[in-house]
Amino acid sequence: MSENIKELLFKIWIILSGATVLFLTLFIFGYIIRHGFQSINVEFIFGSPKGIPLGAEGGVLPAIMGSLFLTIVACIFASLLAISTSIYVVYYCMSKKIENIIHIIIQCMAGIPSIVLGLFGYTLLVVNLKLERSLLSAGITLGIMIFPFIQVRVEKAFRETSDTIIGSSYALGVSNSYTFFRLILHMCKFEIVSAITLAGGFAMGAAAPIILTGAVIFAPIPKSLLSPVMALPFHLYILIGEGVSLEKAYATALVLVLLLLIINITSIVLVFRKRGAN
Amino acid sequence: MNIIELANLNAFYGNKKVLNNINMKIKKNKITAIIGPSGCGKSTLLAVLNRMIEENGGSIEGKVIFNEKDILNYSKNELRRKVGIVFQKPSPFPLSIYGNLAYAPLYYGVKDKKLLNDIVENKLKISGLYEEVKDDFKMSALELSGGQQQRLCIARALTVEPDVLLMDEPCSALDVKNTTNIEDMLLNLLDDYTIIIVTHNLFQAKRISDYTVFILDGEVVEFGETEQIFNNPRDIRTKEYIEGMYG
Repeated sequence: MSENIKELLFKIWIILSGATVLFLTLFIFGYIIRHGFQSINVEFIFGSPKGIPLGAEGGVLPAIMGSLFLTIVACIFASLLAISTSIYVVYYCMSKKIENIIHIIIQCMAGIPSIVLGLFGYTLLVVNLKLERSLLSAGITLGIMIFPFIQVRVEKAFRETSDTIIGSSYALGVSNSYTFFRLILHMCKFEIVSAITLAGGFAMGAAAPIILTGAVIFAPIPKSLLSPVMALPFHLYILIGEGVSLEKAYATALVLVLLLLIINITSIVLVFRKRGAN
Repeated sequence: MNIIELANLNAFYGNKKVLNNINMKIKKNKITAIIGPSGCGKSTLLAVLNRMIEENGGSIEGKVIFNEKDILNYSKNELRRKVGIVFQKPSPFPLSIYGNLAYAPLYYGVKDKKLLNDIVENKLKISGLYEEVKDDFKMSALELSGGQQQRLCIARALTVEPDVLLMDEPCSALDVKNTTNIEDMLLNLLDDYTIIIVTHNLFQAKRISDYTVFILDGEVVEFGETEQIFNNPRDIRTKEYIEGMYG
């Protein structure tokens, strides 16, 4: 086969791949908007589920608030763990062997199916630690799910920090912790926030880890960390699974997609701001 | 008076010996230039003097006495406060000009705003940067030119009042004008500081240094007054290096 034909086939393959991705994305968005938009109104956004069966009418405010609270708890838990792990691996771990073991564990964690994480959360948090089916149990379980996602990105950001700059800081006789909090964190803040934001979107869209750990059908807006919670993906699952209302299900999906879109755009803006600053 | 004394110093990266049996005495308030071909161990010698070698996974054997005390008896941070270093590549922190200069004093507990301002202004004046940036201390240090950034790094190294300033080819990336600025500044610093400068530029070593040490393959070939090293080298290898036979 001549080089020109190979080149042509390669170009066609790339264009077709790009077009397929673009088409699928637009199709999903278009389909959800077309079927869900007519049910979106003030009552749907700011109301609670009503009707018989429950959810056939009314709104999704408890699910929106529940999803936001779950995302916040998951992000706080996961980011604290991920940033601490990254600091240890990059700045304190002297043994390549331990570093490799940590990396393998994180890779394994990233590969655990989310329903298995849900079972783990149920056994450890709900049953053994007696945290009940609650915002806290579900948030921590989601946090475990997004921990590898944040850790990998934060570690990469730390590793890409200029050695010369860090060396210059150490050369002034200041401590490692001062260098970290005053300099490295400042240099990596956009990447860290961007990673946490993206992971938050990932957590917000997950239903499996919260089914056993915190989600209770049509729970009201949680009043405390130990209250049960409703979330948009679980609400969506119930509406379709129980055959409550297909129309409301599309509207719920639209709200969820819009929230994820806002989160992803925020993350992209942060990355561009970082590039602009550089 | 000697401020640093090296006795039977060996330095290693892993199993590789990078410096071999270095013996040398550095005079206080003088400029000592370290010259030698690439990879001979010049930068490693600087890294030994403020124990930055340990951050790079290296180790030392032998004695390095600073102010009559073994450097291993200082904490790393204490030693680095007294023996500052400026690297080859300008490395301003991604902070404002003020933030760069206040960085270390804030760590050492200087909270008084006026005192902090005085330190910043004073060090900028010493580095010859004050007139160029006095209207905009809040400007990002990354917006300065290469020469200005390097002078900022020198000013930053001086904010902790070191006794010794180590300089690793500080002018190698700069043009003639900026090089002259930095050389003039170094000569003005000698009342208060001892300077050890690694340079590839033999003319620079000749222009500004009082003493010169020639290192080859990790060993000191010759150490003496700069005038003697350049005009009357005792070792044939020094003579060949200075005459440009290899480099």
